[in-house]
Amino acid sequence: MANSLLQVKNLVKFFPIKKGVFRKTVGWIQAVDDVSFEIYEGETLGLVGESGCGKTTTALTILRLEEPTKGQVIFDGRDVVKMKKADLRKERKNMQIIFQDPYSSLDPRMKIKDIIAEGILTHNLLKVRERYKRVGELLEKVGIPAENMDSFPHEFSGGQRQRIGIARALALEPKIIMCDEAVSALDVSIRSQIINLLKDLQKEFNLTYLFIAHDLSVIKYISDRVVVMYLGKIVEIADKKELFTNTMHPYTQALISAVPVPNPDYKKERIILKGDVPSPANPPTGCRFHPRCSKVMKICSEIEPKLTEAKEGHFCACHLYNEK
Amino acid sequence: MENKEKLLLEIKDLKTHFFTEDGVVKAVDGVDFEVYQGETLGIVGESGCGKSVTAFSILRLLDYPGKTVGGEVIFKGENLLKKTEDEMRGIRGKEIAIIFQEPMTALNPVLTVGFQISEALMMHFKIGKKEAINKSVELLKKVEIPMPEERANEYPHQLSGGMRQRAMIAMAMSCDPILLIADEPTTALDVTIQAQILDLMMALLREFNGSLIMITHDLGVIAEIADRIAIMYAGKVVEYADKKTIFHNPLHPYTLGLLTSIPRLDVEMKRLDVIPGIVPNPLHFPSGCKFNPRCRFATDRCKKEEPSLIKIEEGHLVRCWNVDKVVKEVKKGFLVGV
Repeated sequence: MANSLLQVKNLVKFFPIKKGVFRKTVGWIQAVDDVSFEIYEGETLGLVGESGCGKTTTALTILRLEEPTKGQVIFDGRDVVKMKKADLRKERKNMQIIFQDPYSSLDPRMKIKDIIAEGILTHNLLKVRERYKRVGELLEKVGIPAENMDSFPHEFSGGQRQRIGIARALALEPKIIMCDEAVSALDVSIRSQIINLLKDLQKEFNLTYLFIAHDLSVIKYISDRVVVMYLGKIVEIADKKELFTNTMHPYTQALISAVPVPNPDYKKERIILKGDVPSPANPPTGCRFHPRCSKVMKICSEIEPKLTEAKEGHFCACHLYNEK
Repeated sequence: MENKEKLLLEIKDLKTHFFTEDGVVKAVDGVDFEVYQGETLGIVGESGCGKSVTAFSILRLLDYPGKTVGGEVIFKGENLLKKTEDEMRGIRGKEIAIIFQEPMTALNPVLTVGFQISEALMMHFKIGKKEAINKSVELLKKVEIPMPEERANEYPHQLSGGMRQRAMIAMAMSCDPILLIADEPTTALDVTIQAQILDLMMALLREFNGSLIMITHDLGVIAEIADRIAIMYAGKVVEYADKKTIFHNPLHPYTLGLLTSIPRLDVEMKRLDVIPGIVPNPLHFPSGCKFNPRCRFATDRCKKEEPSLIKIEEGHLVRCWNVDKVVKEVKKGFLVGV
């Protein structure tokens, strides 16, 4: 088994809800509540869940772009949460992120060579001439001709902008890259180009990915292991193959069954979930999924199920499997 | 499809262009298809291929600089493009309804949901306000919105995304239209909510044998609900056939490329195929076949002459010079496990 590169332990992130003239805190959005998992070196860990389940907040708190409320993030043996600003800045060189929207994540007033070189400049790594030489190499790596480095973001299409975002993330030779819905905004034909590019780069630079997506087909294709989140909690973690063939949690089952498959002969039983995802400001008691679960029992509304190892490497937070 | 079925809508060589300062954008440039009573036609394509503009042109919802410059839209035997604005008002919402992608921008934020639904009822059925509101509550109940009486008095921002889309469906279905156009109705929704909404839409349509034009980029959704499919690229229909044919025997290189470039749950894929390049700029379309710069089968002929939509067999039309080459490729088995 590969080395563990990043360990997230009991990570919690609550956002205050403020009201009134004095901005008094009247409640908390429980965006991420007690989340623990680890990422091994060189793997792609898929993080999947519906909007509002806390996927993005998890990634942002790991990078401390949002300050975690509680918990530990151990990266390379050190706790990122306890780091001082200057140390954190140094450590961020190893942890990069690619955002969802290639339109809002690139500064429209900067040339793309400066966007990509910004990290190198901040960390004072290379002299001017070498810096731009490196930018040129990076651009070629992601499939954009180096002579375009003096252009501005608006001169590129969505797919090309996402390539620029990838080049920016690669510039500091990070160990881990968080891909936050990195291919969701792209058209079908462009999406496969970017997915293949991410896979090639991973092989070449031995990168580790935390790949966040809501699209299970993409997750199934790109991940080695998968974490499923629902309303701020992890409900299931397993090896990709195990997760899709031996799905345990009723939420994961419903999620997989809801994905439309582009094959008219593919028959499957569809589990239609009732109702909407409840608000993370006021989550249900016990298991957070119990009001929508088809296999709900009495205990589910009373006691919150713990994430336990039901089979080797297969974790599930559900009372159906905890009793045995 | 058998001829017994009633032809409801026929689009012939539809052309809608946008006259912008930079030049003429031929967003829709020769679209043909038919919709029969009770069937679902899927229109598939990537952003900018003209799917939405086609839908808007059918209902004549486009304003300057967009203009339908040619073709026919024959609905129940009459050309909608020749109707007066007054006649169109009687058709929109009553006979042909539309559901938009973004329910938040399609709904008016300062009016209650109940009022917005009752508007169309009052106009088309000439009924009073009270009766219309009562009917809206019934409709909200029909689309399975909990506590419909209260919800009718709420504003769009008070509803969740899925609920808003349900309200949009209630609005579209309020006058029992015979044809529903759905423009990416579930793209903004989560998969579990998408499953709910598709289920509901199909159940309601079946109830009165209505037809549906489903516009989407999601081949999975199409595989589930469509009967026939039109694949669009750069303002034109490039392939048109029934669902099984499109998925098992595609004849256009673009269709084939789409099918092999998507990650999917039903087959293990080693590496995704790639359609190289990007969708061309509509101001500067390539000459000849518009797909030729991205096509791996392209020959010199493709660069010079534009192919027309040719009938290969009954009910299967393709716009390509190299159908034989694609057939060979498909025969080799383009997907393992299908």
